[in-house]
Amino acid sequence: MTLLKHHDPQTAWAVVQGRAKPNEVVSAMLRVEGLVTLLRHRATQDLQDQIEQRCIRSGIKITIFGDENYPRALIADLAPPAVLFYFGDLSALNSRRVGMVGTRSATASGRYLASHIAHDLATNDVCVVSGLARGIDAWAHRGALRALESRSAGRPVAVVASGLDVVYPRENAQLWQDIAKRGALISESAPGSPPEAFRFPLRNRILAALSEVLVVVESRDTGGSMITVDEAQKRDVTVLAVPGSPRNVASNGTNQLIQQGCLPIIGAQDVLVALGLDNRRAQENIYDPRVRLSTSDQSLVSMMAGSPFTFDDFVIRSCLATIDAAVSLGRLEALGWIVENSGWWEVIEVRQPLY
Amino acid sequence: MFASVRSATLLGVRGSRVDVEVHAGIGLPGFTVVGQPDEVCRESRDRVRAALLSSDLPWPTRRITVNLAPSGDRKSGACLDLAIAVGLLAAQGLLPVEILSQYAFIAELGLDGSLRPVRGATSLVLATVDRQTVVAPENLGEASAATVTQVLSAKTLFQVVECLSGRSEWRKEISKQVLISKSKFVPDLADVQGQPVVRQALEISAAGSHHLLLVGPPGAGKTMLAERLVGLLPSLNDEQAISATMIHSSVQTEFSKCGLIRDAPYRAPHHSSSMVAMVGGGTALMRPGEISLASHGVLFLDELGEFAPSVLDALRQPLEQRVVHLARARTSVVMPAEFLLVAATNPCPCGEGTPGACTCDDVARARYLRRFSGPLLDRFDLRVAVSRPNTTDLISPTAGESTSVVAARVARARSLAFSRFGGTNSTLTRQQLDSAAPLTKKAEELLRKELEAGHLTGRGYHRVRRVARTIADLTGAPQMIDETHLHLALLLRVDFASGLRTRAMQV
Repeated sequence: MTLLKHHDPQTAWAVVQGRAKPNEVVSAMLRVEGLVTLLRHRATQDLQDQIEQRCIRSGIKITIFGDENYPRALIADLAPPAVLFYFGDLSALNSRRVGMVGTRSATASGRYLASHIAHDLATNDVCVVSGLARGIDAWAHRGALRALESRSAGRPVAVVASGLDVVYPRENAQLWQDIAKRGALISESAPGSPPEAFRFPLRNRILAALSEVLVVVESRDTGGSMITVDEAQKRDVTVLAVPGSPRNVASNGTNQLIQQGCLPIIGAQDVLVALGLDNRRAQENIYDPRVRLSTSDQSLVSMMAGSPFTFDDFVIRSCLATIDAAVSLGRLEALGWIVENSGWWEVIEVRQPLY
Repeated sequence: MFASVRSATLLGVRGSRVDVEVHAGIGLPGFTVVGQPDEVCRESRDRVRAALLSSDLPWPTRRITVNLAPSGDRKSGACLDLAIAVGLLAAQGLLPVEILSQYAFIAELGLDGSLRPVRGATSLVLATVDRQTVVAPENLGEASAATVTQVLSAKTLFQVVECLSGRSEWRKEISKQVLISKSKFVPDLADVQGQPVVRQALEISAAGSHHLLLVGPPGAGKTMLAERLVGLLPSLNDEQAISATMIHSSVQTEFSKCGLIRDAPYRAPHHSSSMVAMVGGGTALMRPGEISLASHGVLFLDELGEFAPSVLDALRQPLEQRVVHLARARTSVVMPAEFLLVAATNPCPCGEGTPGACTCDDVARARYLRRFSGPLLDRFDLRVAVSRPNTTDLISPTAGESTSVVAARVARARSLAFSRFGGTNSTLTRQQLDSAAPLTKKAEELLRKELEAGHLTGRGYHRVRRVARTIADLTGAPQMIDETHLHLALLLRVDFASGLRTRAMQV
């Protein structure tokens, strides 16, 4: 039953609990929905076999509530998934876990920050849990994987909404494989399930349930990250937010969270403190390899920092002639203090990007 | 009886000479026109007959043959009406045949015998320069614009007959001031508040004839800016003015009404325009397209992404060659297409473009950017992001520089460029670039770095140097190009797909 294509997690949960027998559920469905459901149920057995076949073919593993390796963090949860499909190794979840979420259309600084925080957390043996969506999620995973390259580190875990053999979004295909290989890739949906809209809030609840601390890097005031934050607050999970410039639309959500009393963080250190892993005294100093700026350049950088700007904005705010402004932008870009994407410039305040 | 009368018809934007031969002989009364007339031309028989009768002139009751020589070429339009009517009168002996060799006749006839204006009067009169040409009064302005020979006019067919027989006086050329078209109202650059970079880009574009792409959200003022570019261009010289007047006269736009066109034309076709409307052609008529109408001026394509891809790609060859060769089964014509292309587009489907504020996903953005073919984008020397001016700029009382101030700088830079190789900087060839735009050591270093980093293609390399040449000319550095000029040239060449590439990059 739980493997029904459009299963309802609550019903599936009841079946696993033994509160409802599969047959009862089917007859209840029959009463409600009539013949169509009956026909659908006839197909259920076939469907179940089909899904099993699919799992075996693509190497997807299954864990059911009550199994040995079912994630312990989910056992006591408000709405635990009855079945989890996964790739990789669920023991990745046995270390300390930090969830990282954020907007899909992130700014360049947001992307760099996400990858840096994830990298530093993973280096400290923390498991970074995220949703493998576009933007912040993907960059958090990239940072965590990067930490695994040089030494042993916390392994990344991704909770996705679609079936494990349906890669969404396509551009994350490589990342999808890497996480499956080096960490764990989890989904509640049966293989072959398309990335339908209703699956994402359900995925967000698992993400929140798996996190000890949830970090929001950049988020607009509406959107998926805010759903994850709500789920986290229901479960008493600490939510931390990275503050941004009030001018930056991509930071509206996080700034609002901070306004509501959520703790602001500026780096991985603060997350570690929240986890009780304060190791500030043991850390070496962070080294920024960029050339130190002259006083005038420094003032230009601090003037433009915070939100993306155009060449026009720069000329107006710096009061330079267009041609001098062009030279300044060229110089700052060459030194690595600003980057340009599609005509928009951003000041990079963190050290070198983790490409 | 036989008479031959000179006239002309229009092919593309040029007039071609036609001799209307009329023969009135014995036989059953009838009227035939031979020599490949089109439908309109063949109908002239009915117009001419009515015009003659209402002017109290006789319609011959003989067998009439009208031949339009050279008979091999197709004739179109009603511009031969008057010539046929005069020929008929001469063939009947009502007009002396000898004096007709001094005249040419270009006008349509109304059923009441009045002379009506025709399309392309400028080009038609140029085809009959060796004679005194008679046109309708409404055509007098544009007909006299391009020629030094006498252009005559009369109101009706009857008056034409009177004048030819010396009983009345021709209406001659109108006063000189009509020959200079009244400057239309051109919007002033001072209306643009803030936006220093785009203003600079307009100035560079006008000074070097560099094609310009404006990318920005709705309400950023892209159309407003494009309209102001035309005011920065210098007025046309004699040769350009005649060519522009011919083109505009052949489709009768409002520009040509009052004589020689001296102001740079501005054309902004809607994005639903067809290929023929854009590049010209059509039936045997071979009308000039928007690219020819914008010759020596500005062609503004708003919402570039909404144009049919085939229409946009058809622009590529004229952009390089500065003329358009149109070939059809019957004819082929060459029309000028020396325009400055200005295009505007939104950065993405939602129009916002600001990182963080844009609601489009990468797939939608990529699909949107795919509408512009790489080769077309590459032809824009200047690609500039336009953002909405902020409120303080909008309400600030200090106006920006006005069109006249900037136009003076543009004119200086253009004359510098012309003194080098006799053309604008955008027309410099690669060989000419080396002598016209020598680079300093530092500038060379900067370009090499950009090439190595993959920010510049081979073609982009030369385009950047041409733009840098114009920037240097504008800033009063006529010799060496240094890195400051190059920095600006590089910044005005934004790669709008770069954000997508960075985001899709894998670890």
